[in-house]
Amino acid sequence: MHLALFLIFGALCVAGALNLLLQRHPINSALSLIVVMSSLAVLYLLLGAEFLAAAQVIVYSGAIMVLFTFVIMLLNAGREERTRGSKMAYVIGFPGAAVLLALLADIFITHSGEFHRVHAGEYVVSTAALSGVLFRDLLLPFEVTSILILIAILGAVALARKEH
Amino acid sequence: MNPMPVSVSYSELLRLTWPEIAVTLAGILILALDLTVLRRASLAARLRSGVAIACAGCIAALFLLGYSDAFASLPGSMLVITPLTHVVQMALLALAIFTLLLSFSIRFTSHIGEYFALILFATVAMMFLVATQNLLLIFVALEFLSLSLYILTGFDKHSRQSAEAALKYFLFGGMSAGFLLFGMSLLYGLSGSIELPKIAAALSGPAPGPGYDPLLWVAIVMVAIGFGFKIAAAPFHLWAPDAYQGAPTVSAGFLASSSKVASFFIFAQVVAVALAPVAGSGAARAYTPGWVPTLILIAALSMVVGNLAALAQTSLRRLLAYSAIGHAGYMLLGIIAHSPRGLSALLYYVITYALAVVGAFGVLGALESEGIDRIADLAGLSKRAPGLALCLLIFLLSLAGIPPLSGFFAKFYIFSAALESEPHLGLLWLILLAVAMSAVSLYYYLRVLKAAYVAPAPLDQPKLRIAPATRLTLWILAALVVLVGCAPSLLLNSLGIR
Repeated sequence: MHLALFLIFGALCVAGALNLLLQRHPINSALSLIVVMSSLAVLYLLLGAEFLAAAQVIVYSGAIMVLFTFVIMLLNAGREERTRGSKMAYVIGFPGAAVLLALLADIFITHSGEFHRVHAGEYVVSTAALSGVLFRDLLLPFEVTSILILIAILGAVALARKEH
Repeated sequence: MNPMPVSVSYSELLRLTWPEIAVTLAGILILALDLTVLRRASLAARLRSGVAIACAGCIAALFLLGYSDAFASLPGSMLVITPLTHVVQMALLALAIFTLLLSFSIRFTSHIGEYFALILFATVAMMFLVATQNLLLIFVALEFLSLSLYILTGFDKHSRQSAEAALKYFLFGGMSAGFLLFGMSLLYGLSGSIELPKIAAALSGPAPGPGYDPLLWVAIVMVAIGFGFKIAAAPFHLWAPDAYQGAPTVSAGFLASSSKVASFFIFAQVVAVALAPVAGSGAARAYTPGWVPTLILIAALSMVVGNLAALAQTSLRRLLAYSAIGHAGYMLLGIIAHSPRGLSALLYYVITYALAVVGAFGVLGALESEGIDRIADLAGLSKRAPGLALCLLIFLLSLAGIPPLSGFFAKFYIFSAALESEPHLGLLWLILLAVAMSAVSLYYYLRVLKAAYVAPAPLDQPKLRIAPATRLTLWILAALVVLVGCAPSLLLNSLGIR
């Protein structure tokens, strides 16, 4: 069951990522990104990290992607234009990515004997442990960060608005 | 990762952070009132109510500090409160009040609420910064402070210089935060703790000796770079002259005073508490590696670069900026001394320096309506505004270190603390350099005063009109500089020098 779900959503994640790169229209890329992030959330859930999965769906697939699509629609972004730079990116980027992939694969294959076996979910922090850290051990930095975010909002508004 | 067996009493946390909460509430109140009730009110009325609420918040926090426990701490060294941190927090609140009183005449923005709220929030960040010995809270508070200061620097939307200064400050600050975080993460990796005392315990532990771990040296250098940016020490000072020149005067004064006090205190805490076992020594013929030689290098460079570059400046603000770099070099001597006496001398120095600098920027702010920034423009100031010229005289002579003003005693204590550090007289060459550079600094301070007092006034210029609140604040600051100079024990007793 686990393996089947992992294979399905892993494949979906990779397919979404590839589609994200290959699409010409920004809105299609953004929608592919949602697919990637949602399938990642399922993978987290399979590992037993339920809080991370929920945060992934709410924060990334939810809030951030809504913002992305809003921006794309507000700017009315059309199809991507081909420039000299994008050709250069093809020429350098694909061989570069291939070299990186080959390097990583080589390291993994040659060193695979030295890896220790880890059971899924062994090192994952549960929601209860996370809240213990957040609301007990590190409560003060957490609260200070909340004012920091207020400052960031205040500053963004102050610096971005037009002065009469 | 082993779970920390800590239990926090929430009421205890609330009780210990009341002063910070009071200032935060004042900030939020200003913001709310300015955006709702006072939306249609005149600029002057909004300024008055803003200053009043902000000062009330700071004074409430001062009282709460006065009535709180002298010694207290929270688990995980989140808050470590001692009489020394109380004095520094009170100094920060007092500096915030002076800054607020000097901002009565700001004209560069109509968004008073945000401006005052930012000053208060920056003060809250600094209060947390000095009261903690936990690397995580230090980093969060430092970024909180920096973020507020970037915005305060760029708050003048009509000035391109202000935007440029804010951007430079932001980019340099972001880089330095990266260095600092890298250094802190290395320290955490080496010691397994983010509490300063526990880091010290881990570093002084048995073999493998920390003296042989190259990562520790990388961590020390990274931390020194990170804090070096914050205190504007050479060679990490490049943002300072632009930020001081471009920022609105009130922001520049705040940037040059309060943030210096807080940054120096926490820098001293980090190296003197967490890195105590690896201090090393930079004395002639007794050199051992550690953070002391690193800081000696930065201090010597700051003194030379800051003071020599200040000689060539024609703009008053840039002159103050370069002299601040020189002063950062002197103040580092207090950390280098690595003794309780050195820390007290450093705090006396940085607090009296902050008073004089707030005053000097206050004078500049009063002159700003006339568009005076070049030193030559000061000609005839003693005729046009005798009181203002006298205040400027007191502040600049204190910065130069002329007795009986407080700047002289600050230099005296910090130099003697550095001389007494082990081995005895080992740092004599550095002190001689510092004294020589002080003599250089006297020249450029006197050049400003010569323009104000001796240079012939251009004809038919009217007397300067200065707001009464500004005038009163400047007189109070000048009186404090003289008073703390004539009776240093007033401040020294609370800092622990006898």
